[in-house]
Parts: sequence; C-alpha cells; structure tokens
Amino acid sequence: MEIDDFIKAIEEEFDNLNPGDVSPNSVFRDMEGWSSMHALIFVALIDSKYDVLLNGEELKSCVTINDLFDITCLKLNGGAAKA
Amino acid sequence: MINLKGKTILVTGASAGIGSAVAQLCSDLGAKVCITGRNMERLIEVSKLLSIESELFQADLTLEKDIDDLVKALPSIDGWVHCAGIIEPFPIKFIQSKHIKSMFTINFDSACLLSSKLMQLKKINTSASFVFISSISAQHPYKGGSLYAASKAALESFSRSIALEFASKGVRSNCISAALVDTQMFEKTKNALSETELLGILSSYPLGIGQPMDVAHASAFLLSDQASWMTGSVLTLDGGLLLNSKK
Repeated sequence: MEIDDFIKAIEEEFDNLNPGDVSPNSVFRDMEGWSSMHALIFVALIDSKYDVLLNGEELKSCVTINDLFDITCLKLNGGAAKA
Repeated sequence: MINLKGKTILVTGASAGIGSAVAQLCSDLGAKVCITGRNMERLIEVSKLLSIESELFQADLTLEKDIDDLVKALPSIDGWVHCAGIIEPFPIKFIQSKHIKSMFTINFDSACLLSSKLMQLKKINTSASFVFISSISAQHPYKGGSLYAASKAALESFSRSIALEFASKGVRSNCISAALVDTQMFEKTKNALSETELLGILSSYPLGIGQPMDVAHASAFLLSDQASWMTGSVLTLDGGLLLNSKK
C-alpha cells in the first residue's frame, strides 16, 4: 500500500479536489466545506478500498492525510506504511 | 399512576443506554424484568440496579440460534421492549451487502425473528404489549444515515403488521420514534462531528436532547394497561426538534 495511491483515491473522491491538491501533510479538516459528511466519506472510502473500518476515536486522533494513511496501514493486517 | 405489577417484561439490548433505563424503570414500577444483551458482565451490572429480582439472558440477537435459545429459556411475557440496535453511518455511494446485512440483522431481522418465535412457542400472554425503539430518522432521514433510517422505517412497518395480526389475542404493538438521546452511541457519533456541528445539533432541540429515562417513561406507558387502546402507533419523542423542521 502506497501513500500516493491513497492520496489519489481521496482526490478522485471529492469533486472539489484536483490532482496535486492533497499532500501527506494536508490537514483534512481544513478542506473547503469540511463537515461530518466528509468524515463519513473518508471512513467509507477506506473501508471500501482497503477493507479497514476506522472508528470515530481513530478518526478523531488523525490530523493529516499521513495520519489517516498510517492508521489504515496499521489496521491492514498489521502492514507497514510506505511513504 | 403507571404500574407494571405482576407483569413480566422482556428488554432486549438491556446492557446499556435506553435498554438499561427501561429495565430499571420497569423494575421500579413492579415488573419482573428479563434482560438480554451480548455482554453478561454488563447485564449483571444492570441487574444490580433493579428493584425486583430479574432474569438475565446472554444472547447475540444477530444469531438465530441465540434467539431460539433465548425464546426457549424465557418465561411467558406480558411485554417486550426491543432496544437492541446499532447506528453505523455510511454514505450511499459506498454501501455494500455487508453493510446492509449488519444493519438490518440487528435492527430489523432480530425483531421479526423474536416476534415470530415468541408467538410460535406461545410465550406471549394475552394483552401483552410490544414496544420497538425506532428513530425520527425513519421519517426524517439525515445524510449518511440511509441504512439506519431504512432499518427503522422497516421496524415501524413491521410493528404495524404485528398490531394487526396479533390484535385478536389482545396483543398491542407500538413504536417510539426517538430523536437524539444521550447514550454511548451518541458519544461515539460525537467523534465525527466538528464542535460547530455539535453545537448546531444541540441548539436545534428546544427542550434539549433526550435522556434514556425519557424513553423509558414512554415505554412504561405503552407497556401499561393505561395504553390498552393504543396499537400500531408511533409515539414521537424529540424534545421539540421537528417543530422547526423545514422537512
């Protein structure tokens, strides 16, 4: 699992994002028009693409896209993240 | 004054939140309470809060065998409050079969199977009362809540069918359509909300959000003989939320 693929999936998911808009250090709650619906979409996207279900507390502990990627990797068969 | 003396009441999903409050109030009002949940330790904790000796049944209502075992072990009941359920928000675009199954198995299927098996094994006394805990989202959905809302709408429809089919035995069936209640489920939901969103939600309730005991009191009324002419209804408990609804 590569973070580039992870970011690409996020950029494809949101209509207001273009390729290159998101970086590992992007603070996802600073996204334009951020709401709980965006949080749900992140959780659902990760569940659908990686079969990893993040709970509310795990989501709350994340600040950047890299945080989301790391916790997804950790839950994905204990796999290690590749930056 | 409502009293449930002499009645045996089944409470499913009794180990926390609304179910725990319903069990406590029913016991305080004189009922013998049969409480079920997946976690026996939590059931034991709840049973310590009850005024009258209760019966505890560990059961996972997503498993048909557990429902079978539960119904066989239960005494005949005069009432049942179905509080077992989950909330798992999910955007429609991402819904998979597994999400539908997990939501409906506990929120809807368990109510159907338990109703059917209770009747098959003649565990329902004449003039019994069923109470299903529903949600205002069944009629007033919210983004991300499609499966939850649909499962509750199905539950309300099923309750009305029970009211029709079981009326000849004097059995009544009603739903409580609750808005936001301050439970552990709500605590989990808070994590996905920004502070602004949370404040917005809380301020939209003229009487504030509900407490588990608010739902318990309405349940006790529906279980009681005072509600003997009430069946197939949905009682809304929303702290005035829908008064300002533009929906």
